[in-house]
Amino acid sequence: MKQAYTAFCALFFMLLCLTSAGQQAEKTISGTFSHLPFEEFARQLEAQSSYRLYFDPAAVDSLFVTLQVQEQPVATVLYQALRNTAFRFAIDDEHRVFVSAGLAPNTALPNDFFQPRADGPAVAQADEPTATGPVGRSRYVSASEYKIYDIGAGSGSGRATLAGHIREQKSGEPVIGASIYSESPNIGATTDQFGYFSLTLPAGRYDLKIRGLGIKNTRRQVVLRGDGKLEIEVEEDIVTLKEVVIEAEKDKNVSGMQMGLEKLDIKTMRQVPTAFGETDILRVIMTLPGVKTVGEGSTGLNVRGGATDQNLILFNDATIYNPAHLFGFFSAFNPDILQGVELYKSAIPAKYGGRLSSVLDITTREGNKKKFGGAGGIGPLTSRLTLEGPLVKDKSSFIISGRASYSDWILKQLSDKNFSQSSAAFYDITAHISHEINEKNSIYATGYFSSDKFRLASDTTYHYTNQNASVKWRHNFTNQFYGVLTGTYSHYDYDVTSQQNEVTASQLKYAINQEGLKADFSYFPNSRHTVDFGVSSLLYNISPGSFTPLGTASLVKTDILPQEKALESALYVSDRFDITPRFSVSAGLRYSLFQALGPRSVYQYAPGESRSEATIIDTVKYGSNKVLATYHGPEYRLSARYSLNDRSSVKASYTRTRQYIHQLSNTASVSPTDVWKLSDANIRPQIGDQVSVGYYRNFKSNTIEASVETYYKKLYDFVDYKSGATLVLNHHIETDIINAEGRAYGVEFFVKKLTGKLNGWVGYTYSRSLVQVNAATTADMVNGGNYYPSNFDKPHDFTLVGNYRFSRRFSTSLNVAYSTGRPITLPLAKYYVGNSLRVFYSDRNEYRVPDYYRVDLALNIEGSHKVKKLAHSSWTVGVYNLTGRRNPYSIYFKSVNGQIKGYQLSIFGNPIPTVTYNFKF
Amino acid sequence: MSAPFFPARRALLWCLALLLAGCTDPYLPPAITSPPNYLVVDGFLNSQGVTTIRLSHTYAIASGATPPVETKATLNIEDEAGTRYALREGVNGTYASAALTLNTTRNYRLHINTLTGKEYVSDFVPVKTTPPIDNVSWRADNAGVNIYVNAHDATGATQYYRWEYVETWEIHPIYSPSVEYVNNRMRDIVVPFPTTCWGNAPSTIVQIDKTTALSQDVVANYRVRQLPITSDRLSRQYSILVQQHALTKEEYAYWELLRKNTESIGTLFDPQPAQLTGNVHSFSTPSDLALGFIGAHSLTEQRIFIRRSDLPAAWRVPNGYESCLPPDSVFIDRPKPPTPNPAAILQSHFTGGAFLPIDPIYGQTGNLQGYTAKSRDCIDCRTRGTSVKPSFWP
Repeated sequence: MKQAYTAFCALFFMLLCLTSAGQQAEKTISGTFSHLPFEEFARQLEAQSSYRLYFDPAAVDSLFVTLQVQEQPVATVLYQALRNTAFRFAIDDEHRVFVSAGLAPNTALPNDFFQPRADGPAVAQADEPTATGPVGRSRYVSASEYKIYDIGAGSGSGRATLAGHIREQKSGEPVIGASIYSESPNIGATTDQFGYFSLTLPAGRYDLKIRGLGIKNTRRQVVLRGDGKLEIEVEEDIVTLKEVVIEAEKDKNVSGMQMGLEKLDIKTMRQVPTAFGETDILRVIMTLPGVKTVGEGSTGLNVRGGATDQNLILFNDATIYNPAHLFGFFSAFNPDILQGVELYKSAIPAKYGGRLSSVLDITTREGNKKKFGGAGGIGPLTSRLTLEGPLVKDKSSFIISGRASYSDWILKQLSDKNFSQSSAAFYDITAHISHEINEKNSIYATGYFSSDKFRLASDTTYHYTNQNASVKWRHNFTNQFYGVLTGTYSHYDYDVTSQQNEVTASQLKYAINQEGLKADFSYFPNSRHTVDFGVSSLLYNISPGSFTPLGTASLVKTDILPQEKALESALYVSDRFDITPRFSVSAGLRYSLFQALGPRSVYQYAPGESRSEATIIDTVKYGSNKVLATYHGPEYRLSARYSLNDRSSVKASYTRTRQYIHQLSNTASVSPTDVWKLSDANIRPQIGDQVSVGYYRNFKSNTIEASVETYYKKLYDFVDYKSGATLVLNHHIETDIINAEGRAYGVEFFVKKLTGKLNGWVGYTYSRSLVQVNAATTADMVNGGNYYPSNFDKPHDFTLVGNYRFSRRFSTSLNVAYSTGRPITLPLAKYYVGNSLRVFYSDRNEYRVPDYYRVDLALNIEGSHKVKKLAHSSWTVGVYNLTGRRNPYSIYFKSVNGQIKGYQLSIFGNPIPTVTYNFKF
Repeated sequence: MSAPFFPARRALLWCLALLLAGCTDPYLPPAITSPPNYLVVDGFLNSQGVTTIRLSHTYAIASGATPPVETKATLNIEDEAGTRYALREGVNGTYASAALTLNTTRNYRLHINTLTGKEYVSDFVPVKTTPPIDNVSWRADNAGVNIYVNAHDATGATQYYRWEYVETWEIHPIYSPSVEYVNNRMRDIVVPFPTTCWGNAPSTIVQIDKTTALSQDVVANYRVRQLPITSDRLSRQYSILVQQHALTKEEYAYWELLRKNTESIGTLFDPQPAQLTGNVHSFSTPSDLALGFIGAHSLTEQRIFIRRSDLPAAWRVPNGYESCLPPDSVFIDRPKPPTPNPAAILQSHFTGGAFLPIDPIYGQTGNLQGYTAKSRDCIDCRTRGTSVKPSFWP
């Protein structure tokens, strides 16, 4: 087995050795030109040199060049060409040549030169020759819009690929998910997580438009002759109150290939009011259609009827096992370092795998490559600080961000004994470094650490940590082909310590380690195809639980579950094919292979019997790294888009996913002490199929976008629990869990208003999520083997997130959430059988808790908008749960003097006011 | 940076207090306040003896009362051929048959007609013959006494077992009063309190085992009872009657689920419970559920005794009356002033019979100062058992 793994790793490096060569040096001009139109002459000149010629095509339409030169510098050639004409030329230090009739233009520009004017740059008039200072950056950007970039050295026929990066001009950070496209023909590309794009077009002249999240719309004029590079710097859209964010999806809603994809950037997320005034990425995700959660304080996401463990949460490609702080009241991600988040609900790209329901891809910012800066915030429970800056200017940058709670300190101030004996504290640190080695190679490294510790008026202390790291090396083989090698490390552990009674002092521990290596390649053979392929491998090491005495006086018996180990590998390839401009398909195949590895003792159970300790018939021992169970299978990823017209389209997708790791949680909401369990000889992997169809339409010139998506989903072999299951420290967990089938279906309506003083979104979802446990043995059946609502089946779900901007400095946000109550199993009655009082329960999940309804309101006050000041600051004043509705967080039953009584606990039973101060320097 | 923080501090504290305290409200949805009223059928068809069935009803979980029983119903044991054996009503919703021997080649069921005209039947079940208990044994360890049962079926037909037990133990109260308070007067006792009683309790937990994973149908040392050292039942003489039932696979599954389901109460953090009904159905209205599983089998039993002298001498076994020491005193000559009224003092203490006098207390001069006294539970062992010696007691 070990050899196989070594061989596998070697494969990565072999793939990466496929490099290509070729770059041109500065040239002189040779050639014979006979009665050549000046335009064509200029093109050939540009093709042979690094010079760019600027002229008014109308003015030179009667100019023809007849000339024979042999290895002459450009200036000489031009001088000869224009010697006997009325045209003069000038060359600046950036090898730009300006050709005009009459006077030779001065290449030093007047200050007001770049004010937009209708007549274009080629008629630059040197009517006021003045000394030129350095041109302001923002002007430089708009200057770039007028410049004509000549790309490539080809013959000017056939197809050529233009590649490069789109970067934010102030900070040098890549702009992710920006689109660059030509309108005729309608061909476009989108930047990846590195800001990289690759666009293949027929040779010719184009007006390329650039649109993206939080950037100002811009354009570049290019003349494409052959493959070449174009580095684009764009301006950040400074007016943060204006909802720029969703603008990126403007065209995408209808014309994009992806369906079931939700993209949010940090600016959108900042506008949604939260309980403690701090931007919470997961809380915002929950306002999107198709995403639900069981409880108020839970960060467990249920995406389209999937369980909370069926979401792949990636933080710069490293898997996060517990994305929550403080029981789930805070998400584990510091908002200041986040770039954005993408949630794939239905058509999951082939490069992702390992979870059934969704992929939540969270990316951090890269850090300012040009100057040092910082940001921070002070809220009622936490404060945070971020620093960023260049390491090597324009080449590498760092960003480091920390966040800590001071709830511990506040608790100590309270006089109530229950509070002063409690503690609840957390912190997290994220650091990211990016470095561009050269044009073709870049590396990125991210480290993440979070820690939580809490004790609530009891002697038991809970503590958990996340540790994650990822390193990426990106290599561009050619403009059309690049690869990324990624190494990741994810660690999650918790311990529960009880120390009050020294005789029973003990510690319960759990840990999971995941190491991964993957290589992803993207190839753009031409404008109609985008091919992605790659390999990946994950090695899991789990310490499923240990219970050990603390201190010498403890009489607790040590109980340690044996280690679990497994290797999950996958190969994938996918091709996006634009068959016609209106119709595109994307077909992908991922093949995953899972091997559970020894050393382990595997129990074998009597067939046809309910698994229990009493039905163990044999125990098989496996040595170290011996494969004790193998599962493998294909995962199909298909999607198609057909544009009905410019404003509307229809999309469909089919996705199959496989999952080999299961979260064991017997409680309705996710708790930090839930354990992750690998598939093994007795626990099969989960498989999910989803078909979804959607209709997309934009209104009012793309300012309002609307969509209707329906889906049907079937889940096989996901983990459900027998009545009375014990999940912690269970040496034969398979006796307490059963494989369940699930089905989910729904329809999601979504309307987004993108711009204007009033913006936001409204979503309504009708969905069902049903489970069936129809085991071979009657004793294991649930609800007689019929379908029943899952724990998170909430059919009606309505969300409104709205912002209204009074002025540039004041805006207000409103958040309305309504959903059907979560299903619950109720004890209905009691009775006597077998000399004892028994409780008669309803069918599993037959009843529902009261409906959930909440309104939040926030007011954002920005500091003045002076561009030059020491620090930009803003205040957010908000009220969470404005109506004070007591939404039940949990329902529980207690036996009081032989009477069983029901209670509901509301965490936020009153309006919660908050104030947060944010600053940026 | 402290400036923006300071004005918010009070609010922060308030928020946090709210967060941690939350709000707890009673939760009583209509489904709980008006619970379903289902018939509960408890018992089994004894293939070699008297069948006893107890009929009761489900009732509200918040109720503190005893379960309502179903009286004046007509119960019959039926086989597929239509042979019927009637059950006669006893006390408290119990119904008993004559001593019967059921045909092991036939399937039987229980047929119930209630007074209100409702009709219920259990599913036809085969008759299983319970093998004898090989032995009931016990062992003492550091924690207490463990009682084991051993059984086997050479034919391999039993496989699924359930055990119940009935415990009986001697009780010796520590007081023997010489006086009693009757008709507002203190007098020498006429009928002394019993000096020995016998406590009695049935098993309350579900005890089942199966041998399907074994190559032979053998139950070896299944622990049916664990008594801690601190159990007062061991103080003199203890007896346990272990009863063995052979179950069908379906009946075993019912008891297994019942055990998992109801031996803990459902909270959010407890395991998922499941609805469990059994094999009794309404004849006419399928939505009218009946709870309980009626199987048909014989019953075998074995009794053992454990005397205090059999247990390790070092054990300090309590007698159950430790909390009754020392006795209280009711003085009739104090407090002074004013001069006490002995009759009023006695009346206020001993009226009602929950508090009993034990012996008079005399002063040094022989004057009656009052009485020692204690609660009835410390004196009258009939609060803890019966004073009638069981027939099996040695």
